Amino acid sequence: MKAINNHYDVVIIGGGVVGSAIARELSKYKVNVAVLEKEDDVGWGISCRNSGVVHAGFNNKPGTLMARLCVEGNKSFKELCKQLDVPYKKIGKLVVAKKKEEIKGLQKLKQQGDTNSVDNLQIIDSYEVKKLEPNLVGMAALYSPETAITSPYLLTIALAENALNNGVSFFLNTEVKDVTRLNNSYFKITTNQGEFITSYVINSAGLYADFIARIAGIKKYRLYPCRGEYHILDKNASWLISHLIYPVPQAGAGGLGVHLTPTIDGNILVGPSNEYIRKKDDLSTTSQIMKMLSAEAREFLPLISSRDIIRSYSGIRAKQAPSSEGGYWDFVIQESATVNNFINLIGIESPGLTAVQPIAKRVVEIINKKERLDYNPSFNPFRKGILRFDEQEEETKPNLIKQDPDYGEIVCRCEKVTKKEILEAANNPLGARSLVSIKYRTRAMMGRCQGGYCQTRIMEILRESFKLSLQEITLKGKNSYLLTGYRSNKENKSCQKKKLLSLEEELLV
Amino acid sequence: MKREFICIICPKGCRISAEYEGTDIKNIIGDKCLKGKDYVKNEITNPLRIFTGSVLVENGDFPLVSVKTSSPIPKKYLKKIGEITRRIKVEAPIEIGQVVAKNLVSEDINLIATRKVNIINK
Amino acid sequence: MPEKEVIIIGGGAAGLAAAVACKQKGIEDILIIERGDYLGGILNQCIHDGFGLEKFHTSLSGPEYAQKYINQVMDKKIPFLLNSMVVNLTPQKEVIVVNNNGLQHYRAKVIILAMGCRERTRGAIGIPGARPAGIYTAGVAQELINLKDYMVGEKIVILGSGDIGLIMARRLTLEGAEVVLVAEKLPYSSGLPRNINQCLYDFDIPLLLSHTVVDIEGNGRLSGVTIAQLGKRGGIIPGSKRKIVCDTLLLSVGLIPENELSREAGIVLDPITGGPQVDERGQTGVPGIFACGNVLQVHDIVDNVSLEAEYIVEGVTEYLEGRLTREPEIKIELGEGLRYVVPQKLIYRKDTIFSFRVNQPGEKKILIFEDGKKAIKKKSFPRVNPAEMIRVKLSSAELEGIKILKVKLVSL
Repeated sequence: MKAINNHYDVVIIGGGVVGSAIARELSKYKVNVAVLEKEDDVGWGISCRNSGVVHAGFNNKPGTLMARLCVEGNKSFKELCKQLDVPYKKIGKLVVAKKKEEIKGLQKLKQQGDTNSVDNLQIIDSYEVKKLEPNLVGMAALYSPETAITSPYLLTIALAENALNNGVSFFLNTEVKDVTRLNNSYFKITTNQGEFITSYVINSAGLYADFIARIAGIKKYRLYPCRGEYHILDKNASWLISHLIYPVPQAGAGGLGVHLTPTIDGNILVGPSNEYIRKKDDLSTTSQIMKMLSAEAREFLPLISSRDIIRSYSGIRAKQAPSSEGGYWDFVIQESATVNNFINLIGIESPGLTAVQPIAKRVVEIINKKERLDYNPSFNPFRKGILRFDEQEEETKPNLIKQDPDYGEIVCRCEKVTKKEILEAANNPLGARSLVSIKYRTRAMMGRCQGGYCQTRIMEILRESFKLSLQEITLKGKNSYLLTGYRSNKENKSCQKKKLLSLEEELLV
Repeated sequence: MKREFICIICPKGCRISAEYEGTDIKNIIGDKCLKGKDYVKNEITNPLRIFTGSVLVENGDFPLVSVKTSSPIPKKYLKKIGEITRRIKVEAPIEIGQVVAKNLVSEDINLIATRKVNIINK
Repeated sequence: MPEKEVIIIGGGAAGLAAAVACKQKGIEDILIIERGDYLGGILNQCIHDGFGLEKFHTSLSGPEYAQKYINQVMDKKIPFLLNSMVVNLTPQKEVIVVNNNGLQHYRAKVIILAMGCRERTRGAIGIPGARPAGIYTAGVAQELINLKDYMVGEKIVILGSGDIGLIMARRLTLEGAEVVLVAEKLPYSSGLPRNINQCLYDFDIPLLLSHTVVDIEGNGRLSGVTIAQLGKRGGIIPGSKRKIVCDTLLLSVGLIPENELSREAGIVLDPITGGPQVDERGQTGVPGIFACGNVLQVHDIVDNVSLEAEYIVEGVTEYLEGRLTREPEIKIELGEGLRYVVPQKLIYRKDTIFSFRVNQPGEKKILIFEDGKKAIKKKSFPRVNPAEMIRVKLSSAELEGIKILKVKLVSL
């Protein structure tokens, strides 16, 4: 979408979960907001790739923004998900000590949690661990009943859609190339899709926030990519655990350790690893880490087998701490000291997802202090997602099909996703059009056959819905074309039934 | 050159080695029956294959009709025939065995349909 | 809920043959439930020939083979549902079907499982690297080109020398693509020799045995893969890694019987075959639920699928007529040399067809059926191959009075 009227009050660079949450928060006021996102869809940086955990807040150093905003975010997360029609489940977490020496670490975590005002933390012994998780191997555990899970991609999409519905403009496939000051009041943002003029810039560019800051003249930030690889397990293995299972964290590590996450959709995630890498866009999985993940998972759950793995993927954390140091630096959420009205969000790694609403509120507060924003009376906090046919009550299903027969055609067999849901996903309000966009919105292609049955059907639906040429059907936008063209040459000689071609001349080889 | 063939005439799948230069056969070792020896000889001097492919359909309930040559053809023509199938179209309805294109080689060999395609009322 | 006599889940090769066999045995109240647009299942996209050599004594393409059964279904007026997905199967033999007309509930005296199989994916075999567009399982690529007229790529590497991969190597070459090589991680190919000849040798496509793909590159679209040679114990031989420029990777790395419904119905599966454990009548652990075709065990030749379907329908008939007398169950013991046997147990002592796959390729082997120390039957094979299923019949006379049954494959 080319910027026609390209003057905004606020431009948010980065359409991840943070940028979308800020957009939604701003749309509660009478502000003209645009979100610029370089990928084909929202959330394709860090937001869609993490474990989807709503942390309780005991992992974070007391007194930090991370700690405070995490606890705040955890407490209001259920309500946020309810408004946005995003799944949420408070399944609780066990941080498990496998050796006696690790129990001290559990006590430290509990202390930290208590200081941070996390509710209901308890240290339990091996007998109680066994009661909660019969298949688990562990000496003792810190039990956090307040830890929950959600869908990080559905949340990102929901925040963005609600912001869009409340008047925010989203520009996908829009990559920021330059940010310059026009005068004291305005910035000019140059992108591959045209220019934007704005009073405020919010830099929520995730992994590339340091780059965006730098092109605006702010050189003090540096982000180090720290990759986390995951395995996704077949739903047939889901009976193995019912809580989040974490190891006791190691000091100086880039992450929280290889854990087991029952996802809100019913799979188990194994991971993530944490590995400082050189290139920010290197999302490869590696053979050593994949083996390590399986081995570490089996230390907790001996019943896990590599035959349970249906897919492996990775996400990249934006870390401020260099690899020599590891660990966590606190969130940076502040207006630049040198560039007026330029607000930076730097290093929003875990618990960024949990803290997303408090983070957004904090950003709006920064602007509100300067501008005295007026409320938007028509702000609607509610957003309805795509109705999942398979999750409906049995009695309502026949009526749904009667109303719309497309509910009667199951396209993704593994996840039981209907054609109606695929169509709704394809026609999403943000205008995202790739296979992965449909995947995140419906779960199609996320099952054990990984698109073996549904991929061709979804491609066909995309092609018909948008009259795409074959090369325009993509996996994930940009260069990820799925087909090179038709097999046959489309300008063909027509063959009348009576007149058959004589082709002898053709065969002079 | 020397090459080992896996005979496909019967399920035994005998391994037969042959030494040859172009179509000039020097010797054959490992053949257990005449059919096997003949198979290898033919493979060297005049290999024949059934071509299978598909052709676009107009007005059919299926976009493509699968086709095959009605009898084996010289192996060297396979790619060329593939190319031809990309350039022609047939109109529905189509019955299995119906000739879709003919006279592909001098001995009157045709492309026949291997799929039934019904006509669609537009 | 009215009760049907037989419901067949799946209208592909196995389901069609089972339906026709049921009708021939005098069963009238049959329903085939098929999720696709048309009958015939995977045969519709198998446009190459080689089907029907045993059943019809001629070489047919997939669609022709399917049409032989579809004609019979039409002539015999066997009812079928298309675009209908069975979403639930209970041990009480109730099914819930979803289609445009709504949700339908059925109950049957007999359920025949004929759901076929799915392909093993990149994710399941854990190839590291990027996750670009351009990675397809061979069957999906086959569907795209043969049913949709779409080309998946121009420069193709194929992993897995099973028949599907070999067939696609030829298909794509004939349609103007460049197939760079076929890599196979085992030291031998799992495809039929006929296909190695006519799909690879014919087009000078290199077959690299003991090789696999160890890395994938590509930003957006695939730009290349790294292959490496494997040593005797399956580890990568140092220095053997090679980068291959390509835009498409096709995976032909195994088929997995599609038994999610079977699981739901409480049917016990055999971890090696991936299909239900059955007795010699094809009956699963749930009385009245039978299985045949790829959902029971992955077949190489469709003729055997039809034969297997016809064979288990004998059991279906006996079940419906209450003629299946049970004797003490014998669990069949697998000895050396064999990967699996179907059926996994004997309940009756009738004429039984056993299907096997061997562990390794070999020559001059004997298959021995033993009842304790006594050999009941021996059959010799000049050549065996894991890629070629072996079927052996034992008569009720041969099985009479046995207390245990062990099968093994030894050298002559």
